[in-house]
Amino acid sequence: MRRTLLILGLAVALVLGLLWALGGMAQIERMALEAQREVQGRLAGAIRALRAGQPGALAALVAVAFGYGVVHAAGPGHGKLLIGAYGMASRVRPLPLAAIALAASLAQAATAVVLVYAGVWLAGWTRERLTGVADEVMLPLSHAAFAAIGLWLVWRGTRALARDRAAAPAAGHGRHGHAAHVHGPDCGHRHGPTAAEIAGVASLRDALLLVGGIALRPCMGAVFLLLLTWQMGIGPAGILGAFAIGLGTATVTLAVAGLSVWAREGAFAALPGSALQRALPLVQIAIGGLVAAVAADLFLRSL
Amino acid sequence: MHRGATHLAATLIAVAGGATPALAHPHVFIDTGVEVIFDGEGLASALRITWTYDEMYSLVILEDRGLDSDYDGVLTEAETATISGFDMNWDAGYAGDSYALIDEAPIVLGPPQDWTADLTEGRLVSTHLRPLLPAVPVGADPLVVQSYDPSFYVAYRIVGTPLLTGRSDCTVQVFEPDLAAADSFLQQALDEMYGTADLEADFPAVGAAYADEARVTCAAPS
Repeated sequence: MRRTLLILGLAVALVLGLLWALGGMAQIERMALEAQREVQGRLAGAIRALRAGQPGALAALVAVAFGYGVVHAAGPGHGKLLIGAYGMASRVRPLPLAAIALAASLAQAATAVVLVYAGVWLAGWTRERLTGVADEVMLPLSHAAFAAIGLWLVWRGTRALARDRAAAPAAGHGRHGHAAHVHGPDCGHRHGPTAAEIAGVASLRDALLLVGGIALRPCMGAVFLLLLTWQMGIGPAGILGAFAIGLGTATVTLAVAGLSVWAREGAFAALPGSALQRALPLVQIAIGGLVAAVAADLFLRSL
Repeated sequence: MHRGATHLAATLIAVAGGATPALAHPHVFIDTGVEVIFDGEGLASALRITWTYDEMYSLVILEDRGLDSDYDGVLTEAETATISGFDMNWDAGYAGDSYALIDEAPIVLGPPQDWTADLTEGRLVSTHLRPLLPAVPVGADPLVVQSYDPSFYVAYRIVGTPLLTGRSDCTVQVFEPDLAAADSFLQQALDEMYGTADLEADFPAVGAAYADEARVTCAAPS
């Protein structure tokens, strides 16, 4: 039963992937675009209502900002690509991955707040200068971080593969073939790393890299919102709204995180254990390579 | 092995290139109005483009300039005068996001002229004229007018029925992009380049395939 349920996750991911490959996602993207257009207009209306001092305007602004985050995240985006890729390619447990997804979305909102307020208070930047910094400095930086994460996955996959190869002949000599064994602090004999070790189970370093890479790229909608509310003298409402956008975004990244874990565990359930130990590094290399290639492409375009 | 690695790298780059336009998302939404103007000889000589900005971006521009400080969505006459030309200070190399073609051959559009701007129901509305250089005859082969930002920072869509001024024997129709066709066009372009070109440098210009377009046909070329 549990196995069937897990394999279903793999099937769902494969169907979504196939849909994307066949252009079915174009329709979804178009719908997301319409929704973004709609909610962007409502956000402006909510800001205006708040400025005009209408009752309930703050709650309305927070609600609309949350919706803005959801529909923006429902379109294509880097955070989801990264969280999904990481969830697929390493054996991170669902809860830490969910925590990373949530932290990344909130950190992204915090970046927008810091950027806008540092910009207007410390540097006295105009809007053009500020959005210029976001687009011309932070965007390439975040793409570079994405590329680094992709390469990091490739590197880890390659290393695991090399360890597997080194360990394989030794295993043939029986339990005490020590020649190529890796001895960890917790265990006497190991015939190659376990899946959990390959994954490194969401080490703090991975988490920081992921959160940092995503947060480096502030959401332009949040930047607009923060600037507007600052100019209007209702700054705190804007900050609240920016974090509401972050929470809205998080709902979608959390879904992606869940799906990626579900699909990956489905693959584990579908394949026998030893085959998978060999497959995971390959998956890591392929997905890491894809992330690095997309990020490198984006990086070159954003220079 | 080396072949395999090269193949894998090429595939990754192709997939990455394909995914990149889709990863962009727009920050500004503009509804485009199109008017095609024919001269005395019946040649299509200019486009009048109307851009209606989304409320959010309009608010950003207004706040930048300290306009509409009573937030009623209406500008005073003096304010309207100062807002004119707010979006006409084009950078060198900015093509203006409007494109005209006949039989897939692009027609040069001159720099913008005679611009206007106003605020209507909280949305900034600007217009400008782009002369066709040179003026072109239009017959059964449609004159195609497209509205898109190649970088997709702005999402354009053509709204309403385009106006045809100066001739009465022409018709116009607006087409939304055929997304499946656009995707297969992209794939085809990538396949053609596969292994022969530097995909990073020569990524096919397929943005137009995803654009709304107005197609104008006339009874007979004049």
